[in-house]
Amino acid sequence: MPSSTAVGHLDADCFYVSAERVRDHFLHGKAVGVLGNQGACVIAKSYEMKHAGVKTGMPIWDALRLCPQGVYVKRDFRWYEVLSRRMLDVVRAFSPRVEYYSIDEFFFEVSAGINLREMAERMRDAMLREVGVPVTVGIARTKTLAKLVSDTAKPFGALALLDRAAEVALLERLEVTEVSGIASRRAARLEPHGIRSCLDLARADRLLVRRLLTITGEALWYELNGEAVLPFYTERPPHKMLSRGGSLGGTVGQPERLYAWLARNVERLVEELEFHMVRTGALSVYIQHKDGSDGFARRMLPAHTDRFDLLMEAARSALARAWSAERPAIRMHVAASQLRRSGFVQLGLFDAPPERVEAVAKLKREVNAEIGRFALRSGATLPLADVYRDEAQSYDICDVRGKICF
Amino acid sequence: MLAGMALALSELPVELMVQHGLERRVCDRGGEREVQFLFADADRLLPVWRNGRLQILRWGNRRGESAHLPCTAWTQLDTVQNGGWSDRAIESVVVPATMGLDKGVWYRIRQGIRGLVALDERDRPRVYVICEPSSHYYQVMTRGGSWMPVLIDERI
Ligand SMILES: [Mg+2]
Repeated sequence: MPSSTAVGHLDADCFYVSAERVRDHFLHGKAVGVLGNQGACVIAKSYEMKHAGVKTGMPIWDALRLCPQGVYVKRDFRWYEVLSRRMLDVVRAFSPRVEYYSIDEFFFEVSAGINLREMAERMRDAMLREVGVPVTVGIARTKTLAKLVSDTAKPFGALALLDRAAEVALLERLEVTEVSGIASRRAARLEPHGIRSCLDLARADRLLVRRLLTITGEALWYELNGEAVLPFYTERPPHKMLSRGGSLGGTVGQPERLYAWLARNVERLVEELEFHMVRTGALSVYIQHKDGSDGFARRMLPAHTDRFDLLMEAARSALARAWSAERPAIRMHVAASQLRRSGFVQLGLFDAPPERVEAVAKLKREVNAEIGRFALRSGATLPLADVYRDEAQSYDICDVRGKICF
Repeated sequence: MLAGMALALSELPVELMVQHGLERRVCDRGGEREVQFLFADADRLLPVWRNGRLQILRWGNRRGESAHLPCTAWTQLDTVQNGGWSDRAIESVVVPATMGLDKGVWYRIRQGIRGLVALDERDRPRVYVICEPSSHYYQVMTRGGSWMPVLIDERI
């Protein structure tokens, strides 16, 4: 990256809690904990709850002892993704080159000529005004430095740090484990060499760092010294495979019910394909039977597609092969491989003017975005009415991207 | 089983606060004041929207109070739907709440809880909280609680 540019890192402050506050003013100012899909662990906490000593991943029972006045809410990844998209739009208004790093973190490129501190403040304020989410923005010479800057400027910070003296002062007071990519296992390798702080690492011999931490560590060494070497992914890196599925919530023996699960999983997969803006060239179905045996089958698609009807056809044929009809099933996975970006996919024969199909898919997307996930869904899922009716069932759907799910 | 609930103080008219001596139930949470209604209170009360206005009613029935009504604070949705209360004059009501309390966990309630009001032998209204089997999430959150209140337009 030319030195006339700098890198920004924008990171939402306690994102899941902030996202809940966007739609629920009551939660402002209170100690709020967002519980994971099972209701057992705190997967995100407000600063008020953090001050009480509650940690991310803590079982709710420990959190209650530390923070009995906390208010607990159920996580809603759909909503968090809606906000994440809005955040992306705001970041893009400030920079033509943006990397969507995770659901609440973005890297972006800026030209170094302007007042970057002021720009960081404007972005932070725009995000609060337009999306309602408080964020911290850090701008520095490299991605690694920018992330360190924003991490230390939290919450609701805006900081640009570009001269070496200021970098040194920052690196000096941070432990190496603060660098994303250096966890305790790697830190333990550095320790015998007296490398404890980020500055120790930056000042260590580059070849020693490479020997201890491979080229990944060497890249971090360059980055800490102000030389941008980490690539900038302005598009999501294409996945090799996307899959959806999981437990069938018990044993399933009737073909209609299994077929309904298939439709449900294919619908979830289509959501994924659309989200990642890719189409698939091959679809596989995996079935695990109650007796422990399993089956697998793959179908090539005549052309790359993200169309529900075509994928369902392939999935149905794969299921017939993967499932031993006399054995009840307990798990199912539907996977899409040979992915290609939607924009670059050649139109196949089967993609020829599917205007009505496109219209239906578009309507489905819009209705579901407006009313709620799976509000409009395939008629084949009717035998699963019980599963959809109990919205709490969505606990088995843990489809958030770029974050660990509990 | 719902052990209590809280309602933002701002939702309660002053005259109700005075009339029922609710001041001592006021607590502060993150700078906002709320009124707590707990099952364990000596004076067991709940706020209820009834006949178009907010009222404070007795929550359920204790042994030694009414011989006419069941001695409980909750009733199951199934029981209500299967006519378990059909021999009495009952009204379906909304219990406004901003939070529910169960096994020490305060959880957010966006609108309120479904309730049922029945009259005792002296024509005094008593409110029962309507419950349904817990969702998986609720059950884990409350460490095995099998019943959850029926929430208005909300599923957790
Ligand atoms: Mg964050």
